[in-house]
Amino acid sequence: MASSTIAERDERLRPSGVVRRLFGRPELGAVAGYLLVLLFFAVVARGTGMFSAAGILSFLEVSAQLGIVAVGAALLMIGGEFDLSVGSMIGFAGIVVALPAVEWGWPLWLCILLAFTVALLVGWVNGMIVSRTGLPSFVVTLGGLFVLRGLTLGITRALTGRTQIPGLRAQLEGDWLAPLFAGEVGTGIMQWLGEMGWIATRPDGLPLASGIPVSILWWLLLTALATWVLLRTRIGNWIFACGGDPAAARNLGVPVAKVKTGLFMFTAVCATIFALVQTLSVGSADVLRGQLKEFEAIIAAVIGGCLLTGGYGSAIGATFGALIFGTVQMGIFYTGVNTDWFKVFLGVMLLVAVLFNNYVRRKATEGR
Amino acid sequence: MRRLSVLAAAAAVAFGLAAAEAEAARDARIVVVTHGQAADPFWSVVKNGVDAAQKDMGVTVEYRAPETFDMVRMAQLIDAAVASKPDGLAVSLPDADALGPAIKKAVAAGIPVVSLNSGSDVFDSLGIRVHVGQTEYEAGLGGGKRMREAGVVKAVCVNQEVGNVALDLRCKGFADGLGAQVTVLAVSMDPTEIANAIKAHFANSPDTQGVLTLGPTAAEPALGALEELGLLGKVQLATFDLSPVVLEALADGKMLFAIDQQQYLQGYLPVVFLALNARYGLMPAGVVMTGPGFVTRENAVQVIELSKQGIR
Amino acid sequence: MMRSRPPLVEVENLSKRFGTVVALSGVSMRVFPGEVHCLLGDNGAGKSTLIKILSGVHRPSAGRILLDGQEVVFHSPRDALDRGIATVYQDLAMIPLMSIARNFFMGREHVVTRGRGLLARLDMRRANAIAREELARIGIDVRDPAQAVGTLSGGERQCVAIARAVYFGARVLILDEPTSALGVKQASVVLRYIAQARARNLGVIFITHNVHHAWAVGNVFTVLNRGRTLGTFGKDEITREQLLTMMAGGRELEELSAELEEFARADAARAIDVAAEEKEVAATLRREVAFGSGFSDDGRRP
Repeated sequence: MASSTIAERDERLRPSGVVRRLFGRPELGAVAGYLLVLLFFAVVARGTGMFSAAGILSFLEVSAQLGIVAVGAALLMIGGEFDLSVGSMIGFAGIVVALPAVEWGWPLWLCILLAFTVALLVGWVNGMIVSRTGLPSFVVTLGGLFVLRGLTLGITRALTGRTQIPGLRAQLEGDWLAPLFAGEVGTGIMQWLGEMGWIATRPDGLPLASGIPVSILWWLLLTALATWVLLRTRIGNWIFACGGDPAAARNLGVPVAKVKTGLFMFTAVCATIFALVQTLSVGSADVLRGQLKEFEAIIAAVIGGCLLTGGYGSAIGATFGALIFGTVQMGIFYTGVNTDWFKVFLGVMLLVAVLFNNYVRRKATEGR
Repeated sequence: MRRLSVLAAAAAVAFGLAAAEAEAARDARIVVVTHGQAADPFWSVVKNGVDAAQKDMGVTVEYRAPETFDMVRMAQLIDAAVASKPDGLAVSLPDADALGPAIKKAVAAGIPVVSLNSGSDVFDSLGIRVHVGQTEYEAGLGGGKRMREAGVVKAVCVNQEVGNVALDLRCKGFADGLGAQVTVLAVSMDPTEIANAIKAHFANSPDTQGVLTLGPTAAEPALGALEELGLLGKVQLATFDLSPVVLEALADGKMLFAIDQQQYLQGYLPVVFLALNARYGLMPAGVVMTGPGFVTRENAVQVIELSKQGIR
Repeated sequence: MMRSRPPLVEVENLSKRFGTVVALSGVSMRVFPGEVHCLLGDNGAGKSTLIKILSGVHRPSAGRILLDGQEVVFHSPRDALDRGIATVYQDLAMIPLMSIARNFFMGREHVVTRGRGLLARLDMRRANAIAREELARIGIDVRDPAQAVGTLSGGERQCVAIARAVYFGARVLILDEPTSALGVKQASVVLRYIAQARARNLGVIFITHNVHHAWAVGNVFTVLNRGRTLGTFGKDEITREQLLTMMAGGRELEELSAELEEFARADAARAIDVAAEEKEVAATLRREVAFGSGFSDDGRRP
């Protein structure tokens, strides 16, 4: 009778080709969705400059900033938790950098160090509360959402009487660290491309797209790092296990609480990178920065194939989720469609992506 | 357990401080209910005006605002304020239909009411005697006229809160004042998004000559976008409301003008009026216009210092 | 014959209290290599408390654990695992959305890790190959170890979990109700593998409340009731019906005896009965053990 089980399995198994393997990847839905988005805009927005160098960089920059937090959110979601305090952490990190720099004249490196320290602390507190109490993380971090936003406002108003901290640009002049977050790379290449007449130039002869914003590099770097960790390291295995079945993981010797706390800290660090990129390139901090980013990050992760229940997903998927979000968001300005309809469009895209995802995942776990 | 008790102690201290502040209550108690959150740079200045008036007049002022642009919540806040029987009530009036019943209740209860900021067209119909503010449409109209004088015939109005009647009116007034084609660019509050949306707009319609933003939130990214496009000085940029960055840009000639409604007055004056009313029964009538004032390159430098203090 | 060797693991007078609740009081038992020690008892008898102590999840309130005659204290599940005590939980054995190979090496990734420090990485090719090979040994043919565990049947999942424990050098295998959620066929797959583990000279603690399953593979039976042990018996010292009676406890004996008679009649009458099938398993297993090696050759039944 046991041998009949084996025979049954044989019937159910199908050859495992590359195609099937690809079909089982969580990011497949997002990649396909993104191709659809590109196709859509290639038709609707053709000849508008959306796909010129400047246009591409423009939607890539928006996607990149969202992508930076989406990668963190994706890892955390795979680990089975949410962080709703990401958006508030962005605002908080922004003022943690700007306040000491502008008000007290601290050097930038010290401010950045402070911001990352604070972020690690916030992440640690989130993680400890969630893993110690076992409360749902969206409740715990919802508290963080309000507390951090409130602290941001309270501290800024108490110290400056305003809600914005400008003047960071003057402070940054000549600082060696600032280009790491707010600079552009490849300016020489862009210049050359402009001189060759291959990309559009401004009236004064400089290329319209003067360089690639560093945020895009941060985004790619974080995506690559997260993908490596997820797929090729022990920690990655543990992250999947924590989200897939924390009790089983614990029984197998996985330090679930440590992994989750680490993920919360990583998410807060991602939010801080986002804040640094935005604060240093805009030149001012504002207590309202980062509002709703927590939801956009989760949306990007979900479009990218992360399961809301945890244990499944990918960083590359989240990156494509952010690309879909950013491209649609910017692309709609080229289509000439009234931007009032943006949210309808975005909502439909999200719904299609999630439906498609659900379909793909079912196929994948059925083993085809 | 120990952590809990520390939390409790911290909470107790916080409440204690609040209570101590309340104990310092002097002869009159005034409640200010607005639709602007303290986190908004504009309302931050209004609140500074309220705080200053509180100190100057020696009265107690409670400032309340809903966490989001939520008229139902605001009406509830007004109801709560009325129930506490204050000596005066100052409210902003972004939506007379939603807030009208609550305000009528206050008037019926004999509480003197002053409206501020928005609501110049409806305040008297609700029984309010004084309105302190600027009319949005006229302010936009003035801005449009100024831009037309600068030779602009095609412009874009960057609206970060489509659906907010006051902001929509600014764009409408601007279009009417310009007497030309104005595209409304609906954006979010995110600076990167605003900058890139403006870049996208110029890629689409490179012949745009003027940009009006409806607040510093959008004006600052707009400056960055125009700089990157190499269009600073070629395209006329103007904004509603001030911020240090906006003022600096004005002083450097990077922006044409900023429409200032001097909202510090909108916080300060209602408290003064209500305090004087409580003390002596005095009250002006009609609309007290706080703007529009135009800040340009000529007067920007004077304004900068005040802005840093949160007064403009 | 087996009892002449020293015990692998021994617990002495183990007690556990949760607040005022006494979950376990003065339980002693010994597990020898090459034997399946069945732990029987109704719900709440203290079975799971006992194995949670043995697997390092709980610490005993009193009593001690001896491993190879040495007293040990387990601080965590990891600790017990490192000393060769592996526990396979009924429904918490696998993470369904993860691949078979990843599940196989969960918590033991260092075995297939290459490189050091920041460059330490999992060699998934090797992990897949090992997982496939180990599963083939027990007769589960997995073409693609990268497929999700969710695609396996319940019995196969239990087998993968057991194979994993054996591969990582478990000497004592604690199986928590491995067959209770399974159908007859699936259960027999697992039982067969338990017998194989026994043949490999592992000590197996088999927790169940199904006497039939216990009887099929067990050598020794310990019955727990309300946190106390009712005794340990060799297979030749007790009958299946006696075990069943003991598990149910003395109070309901009266009503039970009637049912038992009914059960015995049906047992004799029906040929394709569960009991009959289980006899068949037992018979096959006996043959297997007598042969000595039957499984490891090609992983298939002769």
